[in-house]
Amino acid sequence: MTDDNRPFAIRNYDPARLRDALRKMYLIRFFEEGAEDSYMRGLIHGTMHLSIGQEASAVASCMGLTDEDKITSTHRGHGHCIAKGAEVRRMFAEFFGKEEGYCHGRGGSMHIADVTRGNLGANGIVGGGLPIAVGAGLTAKRLNTGAVAICFFGDGANNEGAFHEALNMAAIWKLPVVFICENNKYGMSTSTERSTAVKNIAERAVAYAMPGHTVDGNDFSAVAETVEAAIARARAGEGPSLIENLTYRWRGHSKSDRNRYRTKQEIDEWMARDPIQRFRAELIEHGVLDESEAEKVIAEARQEVEAGIEFAKSGTAPRISDLAKYVYAEENA
Amino acid sequence: MNAPAKQLDADTREISYSEAIREAMGLALERDERVVLMGEDIGVYGGAFQVTGDLVERFGTDRVMDTPISELGGAGVAVGAALTGLRPIFEFQFSDFAALAMEQIVNQAAKMRYMLGGEASVPVVFRMPAGSGTGAAAQHSQSFEAWFGHVPGLKVVQPSTPEDAKGLLLAALEDPDPVVMFEHKLLYKMKGHVPEGWYTTPIGKAAIRRDGKDVTIVASAIMVHRALAAAEKLAEEGIEAEVIDLRSVRPIDRDTIIGSVRKTGKLLCVYEGVRTLGVGAEISAMIAESEAFDYLDAPIQRLGGAEAPIPYNPDLEKAAVPQTPDIEVAARRLARREV
Amino acid sequence: MPVEVILPKVDMDMEAGLLAQWHVSVGDKVDKGAALFDIETDKAAMEVEAPASGIVGHIVAEAGSRIPVGQVVAWIYTGNEDIPGTPPGAAFIGNGDTAETEDEGREVVDEARPVVATTGQANELVLAESSEPSRPRATPAARAFARKNGIDLGSVTGSGPNGRIQADDVSRWQGEQQTFVAEPAVAEANLATPAPTDWQEDHRPLSLTRRKGRGGGLPVLLIHGFAADAAGWVPLEKALGNEREIIRIELPCHGRSPRVRVDSFREFTRMVVKTFDDLDAERLHLVGHSLGGAVATAIADIRPRRIASLSLISPAGLGPEIDAAALYGIARASRTDSLVPWLKRLGARSDAISHDFAKAAMMSRMEPELRAAQLELAEILFPDGTQSFDLSAAMERVEAPFKIVWGRQDRILPWEHALRAPDAAGLHLLDKAGHIPHIERPEAVALPLLENFRTGEISAYQR
Repeated sequence: MTDDNRPFAIRNYDPARLRDALRKMYLIRFFEEGAEDSYMRGLIHGTMHLSIGQEASAVASCMGLTDEDKITSTHRGHGHCIAKGAEVRRMFAEFFGKEEGYCHGRGGSMHIADVTRGNLGANGIVGGGLPIAVGAGLTAKRLNTGAVAICFFGDGANNEGAFHEALNMAAIWKLPVVFICENNKYGMSTSTERSTAVKNIAERAVAYAMPGHTVDGNDFSAVAETVEAAIARARAGEGPSLIENLTYRWRGHSKSDRNRYRTKQEIDEWMARDPIQRFRAELIEHGVLDESEAEKVIAEARQEVEAGIEFAKSGTAPRISDLAKYVYAEENA
Repeated sequence: MNAPAKQLDADTREISYSEAIREAMGLALERDERVVLMGEDIGVYGGAFQVTGDLVERFGTDRVMDTPISELGGAGVAVGAALTGLRPIFEFQFSDFAALAMEQIVNQAAKMRYMLGGEASVPVVFRMPAGSGTGAAAQHSQSFEAWFGHVPGLKVVQPSTPEDAKGLLLAALEDPDPVVMFEHKLLYKMKGHVPEGWYTTPIGKAAIRRDGKDVTIVASAIMVHRALAAAEKLAEEGIEAEVIDLRSVRPIDRDTIIGSVRKTGKLLCVYEGVRTLGVGAEISAMIAESEAFDYLDAPIQRLGGAEAPIPYNPDLEKAAVPQTPDIEVAARRLARREV
Repeated sequence: MPVEVILPKVDMDMEAGLLAQWHVSVGDKVDKGAALFDIETDKAAMEVEAPASGIVGHIVAEAGSRIPVGQVVAWIYTGNEDIPGTPPGAAFIGNGDTAETEDEGREVVDEARPVVATTGQANELVLAESSEPSRPRATPAARAFARKNGIDLGSVTGSGPNGRIQADDVSRWQGEQQTFVAEPAVAEANLATPAPTDWQEDHRPLSLTRRKGRGGGLPVLLIHGFAADAAGWVPLEKALGNEREIIRIELPCHGRSPRVRVDSFREFTRMVVKTFDDLDAERLHLVGHSLGGAVATAIADIRPRRIASLSLISPAGLGPEIDAAALYGIARASRTDSLVPWLKRLGARSDAISHDFAKAAMMSRMEPELRAAQLELAEILFPDGTQSFDLSAAMERVEAPFKIVWGRQDRILPWEHALRAPDAAGLHLLDKAGHIPHIERPEAVALPLLENFRTGEISAYQR
């Protein structure tokens, strides 16, 4: 093995899984483009936060997870949701506010979740998911389920008190939690340089006596390798880790972003480091698939997204009389 | 009501409010592996008010967990644990400190089921030692029940007796949704009959503690006892006050209160939280909007906390919340048509 | 295939945007990402970029028009295909002739009329309300009771604070009415033979109503005159302000007090003193009108230590003369029409008594037993049209601060009786006032009374 210089992902995942990972990355990209298009046509209301450009981080981080493992996600959570196995048609239905949606139209983009697959939900509060992930880790440890919890959060959340409290508790109780910071350089418009005292957010791990790693978040294999190691450590009862995936969102913070805080040049530079193109090239280079197979993956993903939008359009609108349904368990029925 | 004395001895004993809560938690820990207690200094210290007491010795530190002084994080861990299958009971050392954790209680626990379209459940219990009268001044004496009562998705209970403290805590544990339980610090040492074993007091049901025909007093927590004391004095003058123990702030027991006001035509709300926009404001509005309106024979009256932080000086502190004579005077004025 | 350019949603809650300016024209070659046009929303202006590279084939929306989100505004032709003369689908959107604008225009026209109508209605409503008499103060329970039983609250006297009508006021009133309605023959008989008829005595204590004061002064006890009741004090109570507690006592055979038989002024007074002795106030100000003035003087004479001040308004007991015809007339009247002429004698000017006032007065006198008892009382107190009691000696003995207020145009008791008052009494003669100055000129009466109270409170303090 020592003379195998191929990337971690190529070495460790069989071609079917690699192909599926590429499919999921395209699915995320097309899903978000489709959502954006539907939004601009006024079919989706509210707002949404697109993760286009961050697909490798989402998919690679979830490679080592089963449905028993939990994730907590963020307002930029569409990618995590798909990576954890959600169906895009039910996600679209949620965005369109329909009963067929994952949250029956009550949550929308910012609260998209798929509890059956272990996705405890996107979160509208920056840092909101951090203590919750620690709680999921506590459950796994107490009930001895062997599960881990992956906690996605952005660079903005690392300055919330909840971040520090959560990391500390996960560490003192040695809980099976992997904290993954998707550092896309800006908390809305404020850059990490202006907001964060340390150069790399992973350096914060030192304060909580856990390993910290900064990774090229657009490199699928690098992310997968680092996260898999952290998951293994967590499952072995050795406690939490902090991983920082450096990445970039191509779109604005939300749909009302005027993009005044970053230059076109910076955006273009990052777009040239498209994680999907890189992964696809890597798979072709190592003979996992060829161009025509890649095109087939793309076509499949596109088709799934288009079918998803049609499914959502024809979905059922919630009844107004059901407004207070789901507030309490008694009202679930 | 007229159970034979022997049976009474077998079923109930006199224990304190804090012992009743501890007993409920002990039963829960015994019965359900998923139950864990979390909070600051609830282990070997026994809790700031000695409510958890010796539970750590009986159940170990894995199940009676001292948390760091991290209210937001701790509450959030409890929420996450509840969401994924545990049944945490989280103790805030003082209810005032819940202000640090409002994010997790209000934005996360309360809304999770709804945001996820009924696909998630957060069966967590937050215990909150609350109220004034201990000389702890402004940041350790508040009554926040109205804050939490304002949040759909939460249930809020306020036991006034040892029996209800145990019964409501066990009901909260059985409830699939987050429940906030306010425990009045001055009641911890109060003793009363408490049945043995597992029983629940229904959430959302008030209790009529004293029958009367002249005026309805709706009170909560320690105010129930002050209202009862006032009612005894008034009875000497021939004024019969009906005293209702609210028990649950959310959901509120409309039927019991409306029924009583229909009978007496006069309503006095007594609560320790700040009077403006408080629990009594809600009850008053509820009556004014209800079919009981036509039975009102005097303006509704409220006695609540002063529009000031709880002061340190003992006389000021007493003056900041309703006391027995205040209730007596207010109820008498109502009964004697002086307002 | 041409690529459509739509007006994008760029803001939460955005339904339409103003296409402010085009940066390109038909035929221009554009690169993906190039600025095509500006849109303005309520909050911001921003550039919209080309979704694809190619030739701008059609522009179907004019600058300056408001366009719904998702509407196509242009087409970009990316390939080498021919650009057709007309755009695929969508019609041109201009400034004046678009569906959107028409919709908006119609909306304005449609809404215009109802808005005007609503305003008109509102004005009428305000006018109607302001011309209506003020509603009586009553609790919801009293209103519900009145509504259910078809009772006009305007005719019920309230016993609550500020005269608020409470539920039992209405039920009591109804009870009184039912007695009256159930026995019309008795009422008729009263009308025909105004002599005292048989009525049952009752021995409840005298009726007291109280209004708490906000200040620290001593309470004020008000004693009304013959054929009046506690409700007659309302104007003076207002003028006295809410500084002091006000206690209103109703004389035997008056208001809600029991109907009893007495054989002398002394016995009549003794009943009032009995109630006075039960009052929890240690010291108080006494105010009496007419017969109540005589009673107040008697009380002051019997219980001097409990009197902080004595104020008499047109008091009886200072001379033999009295307009007995008016008293009998008022006591006897069983309907408003027969009451009005006598009531007119009470005021300085006959127009001081309005029909509504008379109606209200009659309402409180509907009970035949009340009228019968008062007629009998008049026989005892004013036999042969003469005041049978003389309080001038008692007045000489009054030690408390003492004032007498009288109307110069009093036609029931001549004001000249005041000249028999003792040295210590202050005398206030009011012009433009008859026998009821506390109703005709309450402010003018309140002034000396308040002064008397203050003097009484200071001297009480000094003692």
